[in-house]
Amino acid sequence: MADAGPKTFMPGAALVWARQRVLWLLYAISFVLAYVATRGTNARVGAILDHSSAARQLTHGFNVGAFSSLAMSPEAPLGGLASASVSGAVLFTIFMIFATGGILMTYYSGERLRAGAFFEWSGHHFWRFVRLTIYLLLVLIPVLILGSILGRVYTRIDKQSISPMPAVHVFEATVVLILFLLICIRIWFDMAQVIAVAEDEHRMHRCFRRAAALLWHNFGSLFWLYFRVSLIAWVVFALGVHIWTDHLRSESIAAPFVLSQFLIIFWIACRLWQRASECIWFREHQRTVATNVPVYDAPPLAASESAVPSTS
Amino acid sequence: MRSNTTALLLGLLGLPLPAGSRQATSTHPVAQAHTKTAEPEKQRTLSTRVVAYDIAARLDPAKHAITASETLIYHNLTGQPQKQFPFHLYLNAFQPQSTFMTEVRRDDPDYSWKPEHYSAIKITQFEATGMGDLTNRMQFIHPDDNNTADHTVMQVELPTAVPAGADVEFKISFEDQMPEVVARTGYLRDFYMIGQWFPKVGVWWKGAWNCHQFHHDTEFFADFGTFDVKVTLPQNEVVGTGGDLVSTTNNSDGTKTLTFHSEDVHDFSWGASPSFTDVEDTWTGSAGTVKIHVLMSPGNMDTAPRYVKTAKDSLTLFDQWIGPYPYDRLTIIDPPHGGFQAGGMEYPTLVTADTAWYMPKGALFPELVVVHEFGHQYWYGMVATNEFEEAWLDEGINSYTETKIMNALYGKSTSVGNFPFAQLGEDDSQRFTYLGRPDLDPLTRFAWLFYDDRSYGEITYGKTTVVLLTLEKIIGEDTLRQALHTYFMRYRFTHPTGSDFIRTVEEVSGKDLHWYFDQAVSGTEMFDYSILDAHSDPLKWWETSSHPSSPKDELYRTYVTVRRNDDFIFPVDVRIRFDDGQIVDEHWDGRDRWKRFTYDRNSEVESAEIDPDHQIWLDRNFYNNSYLVDADKRATKKLSNIWGFASQFLAQLFSWLA
Repeated sequence: MADAGPKTFMPGAALVWARQRVLWLLYAISFVLAYVATRGTNARVGAILDHSSAARQLTHGFNVGAFSSLAMSPEAPLGGLASASVSGAVLFTIFMIFATGGILMTYYSGERLRAGAFFEWSGHHFWRFVRLTIYLLLVLIPVLILGSILGRVYTRIDKQSISPMPAVHVFEATVVLILFLLICIRIWFDMAQVIAVAEDEHRMHRCFRRAAALLWHNFGSLFWLYFRVSLIAWVVFALGVHIWTDHLRSESIAAPFVLSQFLIIFWIACRLWQRASECIWFREHQRTVATNVPVYDAPPLAASESAVPSTS
Repeated sequence: MRSNTTALLLGLLGLPLPAGSRQATSTHPVAQAHTKTAEPEKQRTLSTRVVAYDIAARLDPAKHAITASETLIYHNLTGQPQKQFPFHLYLNAFQPQSTFMTEVRRDDPDYSWKPEHYSAIKITQFEATGMGDLTNRMQFIHPDDNNTADHTVMQVELPTAVPAGADVEFKISFEDQMPEVVARTGYLRDFYMIGQWFPKVGVWWKGAWNCHQFHHDTEFFADFGTFDVKVTLPQNEVVGTGGDLVSTTNNSDGTKTLTFHSEDVHDFSWGASPSFTDVEDTWTGSAGTVKIHVLMSPGNMDTAPRYVKTAKDSLTLFDQWIGPYPYDRLTIIDPPHGGFQAGGMEYPTLVTADTAWYMPKGALFPELVVVHEFGHQYWYGMVATNEFEEAWLDEGINSYTETKIMNALYGKSTSVGNFPFAQLGEDDSQRFTYLGRPDLDPLTRFAWLFYDDRSYGEITYGKTTVVLLTLEKIIGEDTLRQALHTYFMRYRFTHPTGSDFIRTVEEVSGKDLHWYFDQAVSGTEMFDYSILDAHSDPLKWWETSSHPSSPKDELYRTYVTVRRNDDFIFPVDVRIRFDDGQIVDEHWDGRDRWKRFTYDRNSEVESAEIDPDHQIWLDRNFYNNSYLVDADKRATKKLSNIWGFASQFLAQLFSWLA
């Protein structure tokens, strides 16, 4: 797929690099939430493992039996672990909805926002993006229905076919199709958010419709913009996990920690890379098509570091 | 039968192949075109042949039905005249009101009945030679639960008793309606697994007929004898059976009739599918050559070499450790995808395996299933214990030998799963099974009287394994292996009991082990010993302000206290390490609730550990078996890092919505 639109790949990465404070903010939030989610369990696990030689089965390699035994121990040290992590994930998601306004303004304006301005822009767009997220959830319903239908097709073929492979191929095709649709939907809503920030549009249904038209007419450019960064993120993630599981000493503590945090940072950076690329793309797109506005000026309230959003 | 919990497990790589073999792949519809070897060992009568079945069956694939006639000659070796004969009609279990299905629903209220799971065996005519048609004399009986809707046991009363030592010949016509595969029998698309499909007479045992109803958690019990079975089915079917192929006849109607013979076995089952690929191999052991047929389903061919290798490795190790495999055949049927219900089952000289098209090499599930089901050729097939009443003797002992073989073949800590990021050994896997609810039922409970299906599995498979692994600590691994060998050689082709097993172990080991078996086998006592305390204190603690010239001049009093937390009494070894490198090994009979060891030394305690050689697998908590004075936080940090990363990654996935 050719990138027929504005050049965004390297400029997007450069913008993320230049506005690193956004990246570190998101990483810090992610880290703190994960720390909180695991802290209580760590204390309970530590009480069992720290003075036990049986814990060596978890240090040297990872003995699933020893881990299962730990999970089933009378003290139930792992109880509540999953719910704490899910709670942390939900909080992070809410924070991301909140921070998206500030993030996009940072990238769209190309200026360095002060912390106060960043959070004011974040708050300015928060409820708009909550509404947009609700739209997103509604749009996902047909995808879920499609997935369910294809799942039933898979089940039927699997049940009837002598060989398992036809159903496997259906499954693979289903995964590709659903992923494709999810990417398209994400780009669609990404662009709606960009429009909302760039034009300070508070009517989300308008952003929603305009983003759809934008995606429809510039599909190749926008899809490639998003997809290639996603691909890089997944490849690096898989490579990192491979290094972690296959090449680091199992009893090593520091190296896996550093690697795992690098992967999280890189993952966040890739998402920001997509957002920055989308902002650059939209800015250039506006510059190209808006003949009555030949040169784009930054939005009125974001033109300087002191800019703050108006109330809406 | 495979334990359900094994379905969770993952695993590893391969091992050396036993000697000389050739391997061939064939899709020839007659998968068992070999004749019996003429070796003298295999021509001997191995068992007391009580029954002689002659069955002619015809499969109707369109209706998933079988029509058959059965001639059964029963040799009355009961020592007394017999007038009443009970028969198992296992296929009647898969009906909504049967005892089997009632128990399924009791244990799983979410289970919903599927009409395609319906099956039935209907006797259309029942005769006894010289006594006429006795069809009207048949009546269903319910010896276990008085469930009148259960039709899995039929009894017929003869007009005249069969004298002791005499034979009676039954002629039975019957029809089978096969279910969509459930509980190891039935059809799935073009695949058939035909097990427990004919009227099978009960066993005269301990002075009475033993013919239990078919329960959710029971298996089978039958007398040894001979089987001559004719199966008529479409010519394109590839057939695997628990018998030697005697002849093949192609019929004008597009069917073929295969004739099989099997002897010194107590059951006959078969499987068929036009989609099977037959992978052949041979193995030679102390009792001669064994022909191996592996009937592979489409999509699973990658697993075929793993099945073959595992079968040969199992034959080799059982031959070396337990005793000779006296049959000249072993058939492994690989159920098709979706046929999990047919997988992991044992019949004489025929087993069903289990895999999936995507099975990674590190997941040793296919190997585990083959080792387990092959082991049943010994523990069930030849040592034919009563699976209804003492399931631990077949499933449990077999799970133990499975564990030993998997460990020998694939490594003790990697015999179930062997991935770079995680490992799992069979010992741990079986212990994990046992830890579910270790005190709910004793091993000796009748299978259908366990609290539920889960308890049956956890206790029968898992607890028996850890009981025998722990027994190794008392009598030694080699002695226990010798005891199993003696038990096998002594009781093969008979119906021994738990007492026979325990007596054999005591005899071979030369030890009175009732104190152990009473708790571990008959009892439900929990087992947990722990280090309650380990610390050192300056002997002259009141002079703590004074500093000795050298640390070695300081004298310490060290206390190590061991505690018995539960009711299981077991002697334990305790190893105490001091910071000068000295090691002290102690032994405690474990009878009291706690025991304190005290030492005056010029070194401080570094660690104390119960069972330092890690042989007491019954202990339900390994983590409190030791105490390290200086904390080692690496495991906690490692888990923390993994879970923290997982939490962060989960957050990233969630935030896709933002």
